[in-house]
Amino acid sequence: MQPAGLLTTVATAATTSDSLFAIKIIGGLVALMVLAYLGGHKRVVKFQEQLGISSAIAAGLPFVVLGLVAAHPAIGILSGDVLERLRPLLHFGLGWLGFIIGAQLDIRVLDRVPKGTAYIILVEALGPAAVTAAACGGIMLSFGMTLDDPVFWRDLVVLGAAAAMTAPRRFRGFANRGWSEGKSVDILIAQLDEIVGVVGLLFITAYFRDDSAAVAWQLPGTAWVFVAAGLGVSIGVLIFVMVRVPSSNAEFLAVVLGGIAFASGLAGYLHLSPLVICFLAGVLVVNFPNDQRDAVFRILHHLERPVQLLFLIIAGALWHVGDWRGWLLVPAFVIARSVGKWVGVLGAHASIGAAVPRGFLEDRRLVSPLSSLSIALVISIESLYRDQAIPWITTAVIGAAFFIEIVVQFTGGNNEPLPTTSLTGAPIDDLDAPTPMPTLGADTGPTQHDTNKTALLPPLRIKDEDL
Amino acid sequence: MIAVLIVLALGGLMHAARSFSADIGSAGTELAFGYLLLSAYFMGKIVSRFGLPKLTGYIATGVVAGPFVLGLVSMDMGASLKVVKGVAICILALTAGAELNFKKVRPILATLNSMVFFSVVVGMTVLAGALLLLRPLLPFFDQLNFVQSLAVCLTLGIALTAMSPAVLMAMVSEMKSDGPVTQVMLALVVVADLVVIIFYALGSAFAVATVGGGIDVMQTALAVGWELFGSIAFGLLIGMVIGAYLRSSTKGASLFAVMVCVVVAEIGSRVHLDPLIVMLAAGIWLENISKADAHALIGDFESAQLPVFLVFFALAGAQLDIYALSAVIVPVLIIAIVRGAVFYTGCRIACKRTNADAQVAKYAWYGMLPQAGLTLALAMLVQKTFPTFGVAAALILFGVGAVNQAVAPVMLRIVMLRTGEAGKRAAHDFAEH
Repeated sequence: MQPAGLLTTVATAATTSDSLFAIKIIGGLVALMVLAYLGGHKRVVKFQEQLGISSAIAAGLPFVVLGLVAAHPAIGILSGDVLERLRPLLHFGLGWLGFIIGAQLDIRVLDRVPKGTAYIILVEALGPAAVTAAACGGIMLSFGMTLDDPVFWRDLVVLGAAAAMTAPRRFRGFANRGWSEGKSVDILIAQLDEIVGVVGLLFITAYFRDDSAAVAWQLPGTAWVFVAAGLGVSIGVLIFVMVRVPSSNAEFLAVVLGGIAFASGLAGYLHLSPLVICFLAGVLVVNFPNDQRDAVFRILHHLERPVQLLFLIIAGALWHVGDWRGWLLVPAFVIARSVGKWVGVLGAHASIGAAVPRGFLEDRRLVSPLSSLSIALVISIESLYRDQAIPWITTAVIGAAFFIEIVVQFTGGNNEPLPTTSLTGAPIDDLDAPTPMPTLGADTGPTQHDTNKTALLPPLRIKDEDL
Repeated sequence: MIAVLIVLALGGLMHAARSFSADIGSAGTELAFGYLLLSAYFMGKIVSRFGLPKLTGYIATGVVAGPFVLGLVSMDMGASLKVVKGVAICILALTAGAELNFKKVRPILATLNSMVFFSVVVGMTVLAGALLLLRPLLPFFDQLNFVQSLAVCLTLGIALTAMSPAVLMAMVSEMKSDGPVTQVMLALVVVADLVVIIFYALGSAFAVATVGGGIDVMQTALAVGWELFGSIAFGLLIGMVIGAYLRSSTKGASLFAVMVCVVVAEIGSRVHLDPLIVMLAAGIWLENISKADAHALIGDFESAQLPVFLVFFALAGAQLDIYALSAVIVPVLIIAIVRGAVFYTGCRIACKRTNADAQVAKYAWYGMLPQAGLTLALAMLVQKTFPTFGVAAALILFGVGAVNQAVAPVMLRIVMLRTGEAGKRAAHDFAEH
């Protein structure tokens, strides 16, 4: 029992304002709890699906708005003080997200995508990244930023990386219920350009360090790249070893939760991004041979909804929507990203042209939803740096993400049913047969292998919305 | 072996990180949380190999990693994890409350009342007397006259009878213990701590009035009344809310209850309500009055609460200043022995008078030995209440608490094995629901 309150009461009586403040906070937090619960209710999820709101960003919009409202000075539930106390949760949320994305990257599946896919995706990711960064950069210069300011270049990398990432064609939750080898080609392809974002974040935190506080480690930027990579690998190996010990789900929960919290905490403590460090750890844990993958995914899935919703609420509360300059960047971001997509497709066509499978480039969409990782990226930056441009890029990315999502919803881009079969009837997510994929540029006509096996030609069916 | 290597690797990474900056920032909170959680878990595994309770490993982790030994977890980090302590106390209280089934307690009510009187109320007096006799060994009494010393001894004596439902619940959970002795222990510590809280408020008010300055009796009575009855009323309301949720939804109940615990832990002290009494009342409502199946919630809860327990007990260990403790080790050991003897004698007398079960008479007093949250909180209050000698006086409370933290879990483990009640409780695993 905690009689601290008792003695406090003996010493000083509670004031009315204290009580009102507490009641407001109680009411607010209870309301948030109820809304968070309702957001996860199966009827609400079903309703969202009926409306076609099935992607992460659109489904998460109410929670971001909720955070915004709760943080409004007139409401005062998520005030600056409360938010500061909730920051560890934000770090954890970022780390958790990074770990899940990393854990879903089954490197062995790379053998099953057509050779050259990664190259196409890279070229297509660089297009929107470069054009968006250039367009937003031009506007930011007019806001008074200068070319010799490292913050300017940092923000360009952030905006470019955020623009490069495309959401999966349909959001199915971050974490699968369980791990299954070789059944995540679709997710893997979608993740390839997300890796661009993670790598971008790695370099930002290494080369644009805000070491204004007294720190003992004074290292060059390149050294920080290696520190971050080494830390991610070390933590990954440690978690990989640790998950072998638990003998029950409760212990597993403790170890996975502790592992991600420790990794995120280490990253944050060293002024690195929890998202990057946990991403690397997640990749290692799943790709090292072990029997615990399924248990790891079960725990991740178990915690997915509350962590995601809490993250979105806090993200909303941290979003400073009042600065008009951020809103001015939104249309620039959206238009430049679409133009960049077009440039990327042309670039891919020009560079590998005939090598691209038939119909592949014709199916590309110029307006495709931003990955939810884009929002995580800017929130990660927000948690690491405190300067005047941070609210601009936060508004630019979150605003653009919602705008694009709405455009895609209205144009029906996300309502197409998931292609469940390839040309030959094989489910796109069931490409677990160890069949070598056709190489770009190779003859795609029927071969002995095709006719004997299942003649899988999924690359011909991969559209941009599939990515 | 693998657990030892993991603990070393975690310590190495933590040490490296701590060498980066002295400013813990918000990431330091999370770092400390993750580090304590993992280290405590693996230390628990290590000590269990030697037949010791895992709880001892959790507490030992805090002692070693805490600010007084290796300094991997600083004072600031510990303070920033206050919310974890609050949530852990709420979870433990809810669980303990839900264990108090009136139908089961009614047959042993006379024994309980008698135990509380002879062990707790009489125990307070005996411990106060022991402190009075030990004055030559405790220099802070030099500045007080006899009457003042008596008042302070009485206050410390009351604080020394505080027990720990948290440690007992953790041991019950770890050992999966259930049976008559476990039931009596749980009921006893809950009731006894309520009595201690009331007596402490009155005793400390008397001591403050005696040592210096006056006190408003009416204000004190109102404060105690609000804290006690307000907490019970709010707790019943919380119990109704959780019960309503349990009846309307079968999924996510444990998560909902954890969120309620977070709210109560954060808000309770702001409105001068005791989170532990609030959640105890909620648990009692759920178990005895609500139509909801409290056992389903508690079963689900027990598995999911492990991470919170690990950090909570490691933090309790981190608060122990073993160097300061060594300076008063002799009086501390004497008082710890007297405390144990008082509880033993009180329980034996109570059980004899009420013809209690032989097992209960022999073993129930062990449940009174553990000390944790309440003792530490009272010690901090003593520091605040008596600025001139409070720090030295609180050291006695911290010291006795530390001795019991080290010894009591081991004793409880042995008792639960000897009574044959270990392993009698059904265990649930949340992910299997």
